[in-house]
Amino acid sequence: MPSRSQRPQVVARVAAAILGGYAFAWGVVATGASLMVAAGMDFHDAEFLGSMIGVLAFLGVFLWAIAARRLRWVWLVTVIGGGALAATGSFVQSLLV
Amino acid sequence: MFQSFRQAMAWLHTWFGLVLGFVLMAAFFFGALSVFDREIDRWAIPSTRIEPQPMPSFEKVLRPAFERMQPTQQAIDAMKPRVNGAMPERFDTVVSWSAYTTHRDPVLALFAGYQVPNAKDPEEAIWADTTIDPRDGTPLPNDRLKIGSGFFYPMHYSLTLDWKNLGIFIVGLSALVMLAALVSGVVMHRKIFREFFTFRPGKARLRSVLDLHNLTGVVALPFHFFFALTGLLIFAATYYFPLGHTQLHELHDLHAEVEARETGLPHQRAGVAAGLANVDAMVADAQRRWKANDKAGDVGFLVLQHLGDENGYVSVYRAGTDRIALVGDGIHYKASTGELIREDPAATPVGRMAEFLTGLHLQHFRHWLLRWLYVLGGLAGAVCIATGFVFFVEKRKRQHAQMGSQGARIVDALAVTTVTGMVLATLGILVANRLLPEDLPARGDWERYAFWGTWALAFLHAGLRSAPVARGLANPAWREQCWAIAVFAVSVVALNWATTGDHLLATLSRGYWPVAGVDLFILAGGTISVLAAFRLRRRAQQAGQERAASQEAARA
Repeated sequence: MPSRSQRPQVVARVAAAILGGYAFAWGVVATGASLMVAAGMDFHDAEFLGSMIGVLAFLGVFLWAIAARRLRWVWLVTVIGGGALAATGSFVQSLLV
Repeated sequence: MFQSFRQAMAWLHTWFGLVLGFVLMAAFFFGALSVFDREIDRWAIPSTRIEPQPMPSFEKVLRPAFERMQPTQQAIDAMKPRVNGAMPERFDTVVSWSAYTTHRDPVLALFAGYQVPNAKDPEEAIWADTTIDPRDGTPLPNDRLKIGSGFFYPMHYSLTLDWKNLGIFIVGLSALVMLAALVSGVVMHRKIFREFFTFRPGKARLRSVLDLHNLTGVVALPFHFFFALTGLLIFAATYYFPLGHTQLHELHDLHAEVEARETGLPHQRAGVAAGLANVDAMVADAQRRWKANDKAGDVGFLVLQHLGDENGYVSVYRAGTDRIALVGDGIHYKASTGELIREDPAATPVGRMAEFLTGLHLQHFRHWLLRWLYVLGGLAGAVCIATGFVFFVEKRKRQHAQMGSQGARIVDALAVTTVTGMVLATLGILVANRLLPEDLPARGDWERYAFWGTWALAFLHAGLRSAPVARGLANPAWREQCWAIAVFAVSVVALNWATTGDHLLATLSRGYWPVAGVDLFILAGGTISVLAAFRLRRRAQQAGQERAASQEAARA
């Protein structure tokens, strides 16, 4: 286990992996599902496929957050990127409804 | 923080695996038991030890049973805060009646939903459920705990922590960590492969633990990966990423409207009273249509919507007994006339994939060999995690002993609790099930207390006996709890015999496998734990001799 002095770093990484990963995955599902509906797919099909891509994206971010050299990038991509993806989802929805 | 990617993956594998391994252990073990949840229900509720039955006649059996149903006082009290004003005496406006069965169900579960006047959310219904004997409609005790489908199965996906769905989220995070542990384990494995050719005589035992960990992890790797993934997907849209009710609810509502228009299945009541045509005739027509499509089959799910209203309709779904995908091929009829509204079209490619993936996890099909392979896969997962714990402790305990650290001791006590303690708790609830008086009020609650109580005692015992680990030795609780499992296992089977007369010779000669299978499985578990106890004793004796020899050598 990393030494005592590294504990805040460990906490930050675990938080990035779980919270950042979740935010990013949410964005992926929102964008993915809304775009697939826009492309003519049934809502529940799009929801399912979007969730699958979202879960796999979560897994990817999770691993990356632990391994990344700079944690700052992880936060940047997950929070800003995830937010942008979620906003895209809402935007696509507003075009369709 | 880490020198290399591989180091980072090793850290993730070790620490996330350790912390959430305790949850994963329960998910795997109770998942394996849930494969035979209906059979465990038969064992636990002896009055239902009958052969599985097909969906009975609606007119003769179901209708009178549905008409008797009303929400429980508990459900009414729970609903009260979400209603403006007082609750009515009786609920008469039926939102839906439904009956669900599988090829393994001798009893039939019925569900009824009613409109609640002045509910804050007018869409929210109040629900009632009951269990009947499908042969004649006799109500069966519905307050009996269905230990298989009503306790072990929820343990599998929610640890029965229902508050704010906390358990579902903990298990979900654990499933994600399982996926991460599989990926990181494979990344680490390359190095382990090289180490296979390294001679480490002093570490022989450590290596055999690691070998078993790798074996159970790698052999069943596709199983573990797909079950963790499909488990997440089954709950994704409802709990983990509920976009359809939140961010994308407008799209969802749009879809629901379009669907209602296209399918002709009304989303709401029309407010015009109407009767109910013969439902058995509709079911017979549905079966005729399946047969004409070369899909002859039984009814798995029967739903009546908006009962007594012009917009009412009846949906008949086919049981998924002969394929991986779940119930489907729904055919819908107008309730008041019995005329066909619609046959569900063949599923879309994505829909088929979704049905396949969720069906693969929920296994409603009839294939006993495959069911047993599921059990083995689940138990392999449990062994993989248990050996992970043992490896973690064995690798560190001598070092911790020298440093005076209690880390290995605590982890080891928790490992005893989650491995042997969990099996003891499982047997404990079965013992309570056979010993508690039949007419005890809230009997199911007492059975649950027996489960958690046994588990708590196993934890206490593991903790109290853990001191040797801090000196680099083994915790005798492992061995002692193995003996306790053996005693419990024999008692459970004997109690089943004593209280119901169904001993193994009787159930086997009758070919009544639900009960015989549970008994045999428990006895097999007891046998394995006796073998393990002997092995652990021999090992403890060897360790004692070695220590005595080395002390003597030091004195000489």
